[in-house]
Amino acid sequence: MSLIALEALTVRYGEIEAVHGISLAVEPGEVVTLLGANGAGKSTTLRAISGLAEPASGDILFEGRSIAGLGPEAIVKLGIAHVPEGRRVFPGLTARENIMLGAANRGRMARRAIAEEADEMFELFSDIKPFADALGWTLSGGQQQMVAVARGLMAKPRLLLLDEPSLGLAPVIVQKVFSIIAEIRRRGTTVLLVEQNARMALSVADRGYVLETGRLALSGKPEELWRNDDVRDAYLGGKAAKAV
Amino acid sequence: MDLILQLLFTGIGIGAVYALVALGFVLIFRATNVVNFAQGEFSMVAAFVMVVLSVDLGWPYWVSFLLSLCAMALVGAVFNLGVYYPLRHRSFLPVIIATIGASIFLANSVLALYGPQPQVLQGWFDTPGIQLGPVYLDSQYLLIIAVTIVLVAFQYWFFEHTLLGKKLQATSQDKEMASLLGIPVSAMIMLTFVYSALLGGIAGILVAPILFVSIQMGATIALKAFAATIIGGFGDVAGAIIGGLALGVIETFGAAYVSVPYKDGFAFLVLVLFLIFRPQGLFGERVAEKA
Repeated sequence: MSLIALEALTVRYGEIEAVHGISLAVEPGEVVTLLGANGAGKSTTLRAISGLAEPASGDILFEGRSIAGLGPEAIVKLGIAHVPEGRRVFPGLTARENIMLGAANRGRMARRAIAEEADEMFELFSDIKPFADALGWTLSGGQQQMVAVARGLMAKPRLLLLDEPSLGLAPVIVQKVFSIIAEIRRRGTTVLLVEQNARMALSVADRGYVLETGRLALSGKPEELWRNDDVRDAYLGGKAAKAV
Repeated sequence: MDLILQLLFTGIGIGAVYALVALGFVLIFRATNVVNFAQGEFSMVAAFVMVVLSVDLGWPYWVSFLLSLCAMALVGAVFNLGVYYPLRHRSFLPVIIATIGASIFLANSVLALYGPQPQVLQGWFDTPGIQLGPVYLDSQYLLIIAVTIVLVAFQYWFFEHTLLGKKLQATSQDKEMASLLGIPVSAMIMLTFVYSALLGGIAGILVAPILFVSIQMGATIALKAFAATIIGGFGDVAGAIIGGLALGVIETFGAAYVSVPYKDGFAFLVLVLFLIFRPQGLFGERVAEKA
């Protein structure tokens, strides 16, 4: 059984249909990437999975059970953590506090136990260890991204949704973020990764899907996608740009 | 000099009341991005409940006080469910108008139930006060200052050193992200309204022996507290406390040295001056609206 399966998912924002009936599946232990240009519906798809956007039609199955229409608080408790675009680190809380709040989905836990797990995160993300007590807004983009991913992992998710983790980061930092994604995968967490940086995304993914203006255009193994000219068009925004 | 010390004591005492109500303003504003114009009515309702229980029914003062707080927790919860919650996905304007409506409703409900006569509530202590050197320390003012110190210390501890406090802060900073982490956003906002109603209620009961308990006391206190939040910098917790104390001192000195009838006017004079010359307040920063 797939860990997560979208079946003919359609999502609307008011009058605008952002996602038109896409179907895809992620198997346990996989890293799957969702590629596409701006406005292709990648983020909307993730928002529908995590409950921030309500599907207009179609279904979302997590371990075979429909989660469409549940709220974000209920969905994260089932084991789906969403690290949204723009990192969304709480500006007035410290890096450590941000990370500790990632465990909020796991019911009542001793503060000490949460603090110990946060310390483990600072071992995995050693770059932000010196900034544990710095407020969120003082952190750089790369540091915020690491805090956001660490916070997502604190939920002990079975499925981690990562939205544009490389956006706005220096190339060196992008390398770091992707090596962390590889590490997350080694630890057995399934990842659905939305990216515009197709090269980096395909380097860590088992499979990829390409979205074009809300529809699924292509899917396949990284090497297949990489050889396909349409992919280059899609991730560079060629076709989408022409359509506008 | 003696007079100055005496006025300072009185000013800080009354300012502490404004600070408590201002804190309620700020907490709700930070959690919901909405100014709750019924905040002063929380003080008025609490004072009337206190009068009913301790004066009309003759129950012991502390029993009445605890029951009044229970009533205020209930008022805060019902207020959240009835006024904020149905409009939570709307822009701030409908919510603000709803709080103004609730304020009118609360004031007129009390008027309908209790009539227009101002009531008198005794202070907590039988001893009127103590003489400390040149300054006479009124027992009710001492109580107000002591309770305010305890509440501010509690609140600091709660927000800075408990996980629940951090969840409340997270909710006020980014509700959508908080819900993605599994923080129960609606419950956090409910808690904020209950706590703000309690703060307003405590302020109302503490100040009641100094003022008359009347339908109008809510509006008066709310306007002063609102001015205090502007002085301190809107949305800033420390600013609300210092703004409240400053306002209490300013109006007390103004009444003593300039004009007693214009006592309430000083608050508005200061408010207007701040809005013209330093709209971000003492501690606030100019924060641009998010694009």
